[in-house]
Amino acid sequence: MRRTVVLVAVSAALLTACTTTPKETAAPGGSPQPGTLRVLASSELADMTPVLDQVRKDTGLTVRPTYMGTLDAVDLLAKGGTDGLYDAVWLSSDDYLRLRPEAAKKVVSETSIMSSPVAVGVKTAVVKELGWTPAHVTWSQVERAVQGGRLSYGMTDPARSNSGFSTLVSVASALSGAQSALTDADVTKATPKLKEFFKGQELTSGSSGWLATAYERRGNVDAMLNYESVLKGVSGLTVIRPTDGVVTADYPLSSLAATSAATREEFRRLTEALRTPAIQRQITERTHRRPVVPSVRPAPGLDTSRRRELPFPGSRSVADGLLDAYENKLRRPSRTVYVLDTSGSMKGDRLNRLKKALTDLTADFRDREEVTLMPFGSDVKSVRTHVIDPADPGTGLDGVRKDTKALSAQGDTAIFSSLEKAYDHLGADDDTFTSIVLMTDGENTTGAKSGEFDAFYRGLGAQQRQTPVFPILFGDSDRAELEHIADLTGGRLFDAQKGSLDGAFEEIRGYQ
Amino acid sequence: MLLIGGVVAAVVAGREADDKGTATKTVRGVIGSEKADFFADPDVVKALAAKGYTVKAETSGSWAMEGLDLEGYDFAFPSSQAPAVELAARYKVRGTLPRPFYSPLVVVAHRSAAQVLAANGLATLDTEHRGTLKMAAYLDAARHDRSWQQLKGADKYGELSGTLFISSTDPESSNSGALYLAAASYVANGGRVVASDADLDRTEPLLKKLVTVQGAQQSSSDAVFRDFVSGAGNPLVLVYESQVAALLADGQQPGDLVVLYPDTTVNSDHTVAPLTDNGQALAQLLSTDPQLRGLAVRHGFRPQGSATGFASAGTYLKQELTGVRQAPVPTSAVLHEMARRAKG
Repeated sequence: MRRTVVLVAVSAALLTACTTTPKETAAPGGSPQPGTLRVLASSELADMTPVLDQVRKDTGLTVRPTYMGTLDAVDLLAKGGTDGLYDAVWLSSDDYLRLRPEAAKKVVSETSIMSSPVAVGVKTAVVKELGWTPAHVTWSQVERAVQGGRLSYGMTDPARSNSGFSTLVSVASALSGAQSALTDADVTKATPKLKEFFKGQELTSGSSGWLATAYERRGNVDAMLNYESVLKGVSGLTVIRPTDGVVTADYPLSSLAATSAATREEFRRLTEALRTPAIQRQITERTHRRPVVPSVRPAPGLDTSRRRELPFPGSRSVADGLLDAYENKLRRPSRTVYVLDTSGSMKGDRLNRLKKALTDLTADFRDREEVTLMPFGSDVKSVRTHVIDPADPGTGLDGVRKDTKALSAQGDTAIFSSLEKAYDHLGADDDTFTSIVLMTDGENTTGAKSGEFDAFYRGLGAQQRQTPVFPILFGDSDRAELEHIADLTGGRLFDAQKGSLDGAFEEIRGYQ
Repeated sequence: MLLIGGVVAAVVAGREADDKGTATKTVRGVIGSEKADFFADPDVVKALAAKGYTVKAETSGSWAMEGLDLEGYDFAFPSSQAPAVELAARYKVRGTLPRPFYSPLVVVAHRSAAQVLAANGLATLDTEHRGTLKMAAYLDAARHDRSWQQLKGADKYGELSGTLFISSTDPESSNSGALYLAAASYVANGGRVVASDADLDRTEPLLKKLVTVQGAQQSSSDAVFRDFVSGAGNPLVLVYESQVAALLADGQQPGDLVVLYPDTTVNSDHTVAPLTDNGQALAQLLSTDPQLRGLAVRHGFRPQGSATGFASAGTYLKQELTGVRQAPVPTSAVLHEMARRAKG
């Protein structure tokens, strides 16, 4: 039995800093206020801040954004979670939204503001090595380079990020040879090719911002797949729009039905302001997106030769089927060690919350994934590994749940010794996405010290050093200590003191 | 624009601040969203105030108006005749319904695509920026899943590949998408308006093809046009002529855009269903007042009757719609069923 991709609930995280605050307690839109529009927005739109400042100067209207992945946002709309909390939704595209009638009926009007196509950003030196002429590269050429081991790349997780999803649709449409909108049959036909293609994916991420950071840190990944606007902001990349077609994001600012007439009048003024030539010029110059008014030319460096627009799937079954195939069949599987603090201080409510969060998370594990639970106190208490077998996912998932249930709290807190064991467990592995999740409610009290762990990490081989640690701030844990671990290993800190533990675990899924 | 049953977005036109003590009548109406800019235009507000009217208009999808309770409103002003007729019947409005202005559906293309269509007998071009789309030939190509690669001359342009099709809005939620099916079904039905189950059965396979080939469809005619302007999207896009005209009237230069008038098309007939005497008087004013008719032209609409002033300067638009056959639109019920089947 194949499980479908589970779209996780809301994570309202501000992705500008290195720390993110997962859902629930993170303030959503806030209370309504005249002159302020509460907008649920794609995280890439953080780069619009200076433009929106100008709009405020021009019109007195303030946009208060809350950033969220497209699929999460659509899910929230469909469940009515936006009613009264948001005035508008501004995603990179409403294509997926329209496939969900419960979500689409929450929207009154849509106004495209700007556009950006999916593109491939390749290191300029690699473009030369491959002998490519940037204006004439096809997806098939990209695929052949990947297959020949000459091109590795990073992209965002399609289940969490619109750029990842649009990339997936572009690649699937192009490599299947589909002449019109993708069908289930096209996806099936293209599966072997796509599997080869996704072998080249060496980096995954829950957001475009972290993808760029991880890419720069790694240094040995050749390319990134993302929106042209994101890639133009990374130095040293030649941005290629494959000639056989792209999917374009058109950023429709969409007003919500559950708003007052006065709010919708402010909304109308906002969209009008965003389409004035002066603002359109700022948009293209500052964010590398393309204007939607003919009197403004795209910023220098944005090639205006045309590309075929690949149609976005017209039914939810095709879109979800493609996502499902990606997660469970096409992408590299992930191997994750959950280093879980079960020291004495976790006793009671904290341990119960951890057990609940982990149990809930089992709904989200993918086929072929390897999950290791490594509870620790004064030392690592046990190492239990479960693989989600596509032929029998239930056994692996039951195993994770059973081991979770058996967790008990006692002992001191040996954070660094336990992390070292997690690295030893994962070893050097080039065929999967390896990562470590560290959940602790306190400071390191025993075993290896911070400096010793630093030396241990630096002594690892290059391959092992690519495994990031994603620490979760929880209970009384020490932010500086955890931030240091994230920085050292190229991970990212998640805050479950402000947000919830469930939310943190779920959000990290995008990075695994 | 997007149609949402029961949802009315408010656009307040005719701000009371403009009222300088003259006793004005406030007229409330529900309008198709493509006319929101017209009613919000300060010159339109002023012209109406000079005649003693303040219009408070709220927008709704034209096809969603049938689902609204219009008690307390003076008029409804959808972008198509069929919903106006339905509303008039429901609210027992007598007499001919005023149609102050209209706009035909056109296909916009970039020059490369237009030239390839012309070279392959699917279109003719009268100027650099204007031509005619041969609907029968186009529908025949669609019926046979013709791709751009099969057309001679297309290989010069990288973007011209994949199945040849016109992008429209979602026919179930948007007027222009529904009218596209009206025009295509008229041609596919041998030049007769689709009226019976047999007609629906006969035209269904082709209409289904026209819709499913597009994948996810936009729900607003503005969005498809903006994608086109920004250089993204399908090479052929169905829009209202008024959208192109409003852009030109605003002094914007749409570059190498070509307007193709389908030889059989459908007009978006902006038809008023007057619900009260005040609504009737306003409809009259919109139809006859020279200043308001001029302002309608500024917003890209063609006033009924004389076409004076329309497209007088420029090579993109036809001043007179000669050589363009107007297909009648099926009844509201038939059109809904047609859209439902095509999407299925």
